Amino acid sequence: MSTFLSLFKKEVRTCFLSPIAFVVMFFFWILTGGNFILLLYQMANGDSLTMATQWMFGGPLICFSLPVVIPLITMRLFAEERKLGTLEALLTTPVKVPELVLAKFFGALVFYSVLWLPVFAYAYFQSGMNPSATLAFPDVGALRAGAVGVMLVGALYIAVGLLMSSLTSNQIVAAIAGFAILFGSFLAGAYLAYTAPSASARTVGQFFSSSAHMLDFSRGVVDSRIVVLYLSFTAWFLFVSVKAVEAKRT
Amino acid sequence: MIKVFGVTKKYPARLAVDDVSFEVARGEIVGFLGPNGAGKTTTMRMLTGYLPMTSGRIEVAGYDICEDPQEVRRRIGYLPESCPLYPEMRVDEYLRFRAELKGVRLSARKAKINEVKEQCGLTDVGSRIIGQLSKGYRQRVGLADSLVHDPDLLILDEPTVGLDPYQIRQVRELIQQLAKRHTILLSTHILPEVEAICERILIINEGKIVASDTEANLHRRLHACAMIEMEIQAGKVVAMAAINTMEGLDVRTATELDDGWLRLEIEADSSDMRVELFNLAVTEGWPLRELSEQEYSLEDTFVQITRNPGAMQ
Repeated sequence: MSTFLSLFKKEVRTCFLSPIAFVVMFFFWILTGGNFILLLYQMANGDSLTMATQWMFGGPLICFSLPVVIPLITMRLFAEERKLGTLEALLTTPVKVPELVLAKFFGALVFYSVLWLPVFAYAYFQSGMNPSATLAFPDVGALRAGAVGVMLVGALYIAVGLLMSSLTSNQIVAAIAGFAILFGSFLAGAYLAYTAPSASARTVGQFFSSSAHMLDFSRGVVDSRIVVLYLSFTAWFLFVSVKAVEAKRT
Repeated sequence: MIKVFGVTKKYPARLAVDDVSFEVARGEIVGFLGPNGAGKTTTMRMLTGYLPMTSGRIEVAGYDICEDPQEVRRRIGYLPESCPLYPEMRVDEYLRFRAELKGVRLSARKAKINEVKEQCGLTDVGSRIIGQLSKGYRQRVGLADSLVHDPDLLILDEPTVGLDPYQIRQVRELIQQLAKRHTILLSTHILPEVEAICERILIINEGKIVASDTEANLHRRLHACAMIEMEIQAGKVVAMAAINTMEGLDVRTATELDDGWLRLEIEADSSDMRVELFNLAVTEGWPLRELSEQEYSLEDTFVQITRNPGAMQ
């Protein structure tokens, strides 16, 4: 446990020390900030307030940006260690590979959660702007469910990015591979869920579309099937990453 | 300390290490030599458990490397060839991190880190960022890291590569100090270093161990006959005839030097025939200004063994 903690602390520190972290943070905060401004415009034009949390967590700007943002966070996790040769130094200490993979996963997850903090601040500010006393805003339940959704989707995306990073010593390759998989599955899921001609394809698509899930979560619907789906996929990708690190040592 | 039984490592395209067996006893300092690509680094990586072997068995400190990798790693201090470090960390930070990973107790950690920093000459650079240190200092940080958990066995893969001569001497002195408390397996290309430090030499070539002995024994086994150099004033033909008639002596080359002296290289059966040659010069009345036995350097031996793998048989 103490080895895990020192690895985890080191990961979090490195996440926040890398220049790419600040670039990612800068753009994601501009994006979520812009997203909030758009929401305010829509509400000023008389859109329903019930749309607010869905827009904040599942708006198109957010859904399209995550497949780019997360590979940029995860690309260095193992690729950099391979490049520097520090993976060899790590794996010749009593550290176990699962510990290492989990430390990197949770380190990236902490950084990812920090990216989302401003959005929750916006929701808080918005509550002060509520003109009508009849509607309670923000809807705390929907906010909480949205947070669950954000973390679940983020965890799965990070696990995918981590696997890509564990397969190569080139960060760019890791980032592009992660982006291709996440964006491809996002588009495929969205297509199946919303525009596929057959109804059964649309039902299947509903299970695979992360944007559909985000909209559900941010409406306050926490579907346990979806939670299990995300957790098990995340666990599977982490497991494969462990195997990849154990197998690929050169 | 180390027992290697018939270890083989196959890469998809080539055989890197081929049925290698050797032992290193506790307290020994062993130099691990071989040309580039001979399998040194691969062997060392297998010893540390980083690379899995294709077949064979390795025991370190009595633990099988496949069954108890954790126990083995706890006892090994390993400095990889490229000396990998995190450039964004500070020296103290890095050593603390590594000490934590290697399970150095919290109560002993600070003292231990200070001790290795002092041993490696790092006391003044503790708060510097590793990426801004010179190559020599980085190498010392790597060495300090490999010592921080007080391992029984030190495996150093080319610890002096890329250092200037002064730094090489410092690292060599450090290794000599460490030898009092640790077993050391050291790979290097710098042969004088091995001559200076190591008690025993292992030579690997094309994935096979071709020699394992002390330096003196290697020379003796490789050069059964001694080469004697002699400079006298005498007629070339007369001198060659006189020497060749003696038992066990054979003139290899005879050169007339510009200043009128004659330089002879003589192969002798047993090591010391110099007295006989001196007596000969006295009785023949040849003035004599040099009479010496050629010293073989480790370099000669190394080149001979690796170029001609049959030399040791």
